[in-house]
Amino acid sequence: MSWEEIIKDYNPTIQRERRIWVNIPKDKVYDILQNLKNEGFEHLSSLSVTDWIDEGKFEITYHLWSYKFKVLLTVKTKIDREEAKIKSIYPIYDRSAWIHEREMHELFGIEFIGNPDLSPLFLEDWNEKPPFRKDFDWREYVRSKYYNKENEREKAYWEVWLK
Amino acid sequence: MVDMDKKVMARKMGRLIRSIWIFNWFNSCGVTELLPVVASIYDMERFGLIVVDNPKHADVLIVGGYQTEKSIKRVIRIYNQMPEPKAVMALGSCTITGGMYWDSYNTIKRLSDYIPVTIYVPGCPPRPEAVFQAVGMIFEHVNQLKKEVKGK
Repeated sequence: MSWEEIIKDYNPTIQRERRIWVNIPKDKVYDILQNLKNEGFEHLSSLSVTDWIDEGKFEITYHLWSYKFKVLLTVKTKIDREEAKIKSIYPIYDRSAWIHEREMHELFGIEFIGNPDLSPLFLEDWNEKPPFRKDFDWREYVRSKYYNKENEREKAYWEVWLK
Repeated sequence: MVDMDKKVMARKMGRLIRSIWIFNWFNSCGVTELLPVVASIYDMERFGLIVVDNPKHADVLIVGGYQTEKSIKRVIRIYNQMPEPKAVMALGSCTITGGMYWDSYNTIKRLSDYIPVTIYVPGCPPRPEAVFQAVGMIFEHVNQLKKEVKGK
């Protein structure tokens, strides 16, 4: 099966020359990525997450590059915000998937089932909501953590905020 | 300034001004304008400023730019490893108020809330001239202290 046939059923759109987007349901992603890798998409250049808070979904985006076909294939999938879990692609792409998944776990709180190490990467002693989620009120958090109304030198800030 | 008796301070800091050895702690853009200080045009070695690899050899800790919640712990550890007399030079507006990261959830706002800072060098990032001026001001301050102590 060629790579075109693998993604044929999911209405791939051609963004421009050699740049293809495809939306795939959550439970099919693992198998499709496995097949795509066998067909030559061996480079996972990045894995990112978008928070569509109005829809109640997280969109996970995998960017795959093929040295054989010189094609950048963007695989997207949506998962529920409430139940943010997806099967890890660590067994397919190994360390390059591991580090991205670890970061996305930290910043968005998505659980990648099967990833061996999802320990914190940048944040230490973080007890709040994952900071890149849209419902994390970082302004409020910064004010309560770093600023103090009684502090003389921060008076100017508070004058604006309390207006 | 470090909380110390003036006399003790003058004695300790007096040793510092002959030639100062610097330990750099950079994890942000504060470094970009300090690299020319090391390079041949400004050439800090002609003033006896030498960069060392180990905080245990250093007199001055230069903290370049903003510090995150994670890196400030390392700064404190490095600061504690440095022998007396020691001074801390903080580069950039970020170390004073947080600078452009004033509302970041992960960046500390003022360095002197965490370690004693000897001198702040404002700028975004500060120019090499400002760094030299700051060094000169530390020297001047130490001389002033010595004079005051002798006058007593």
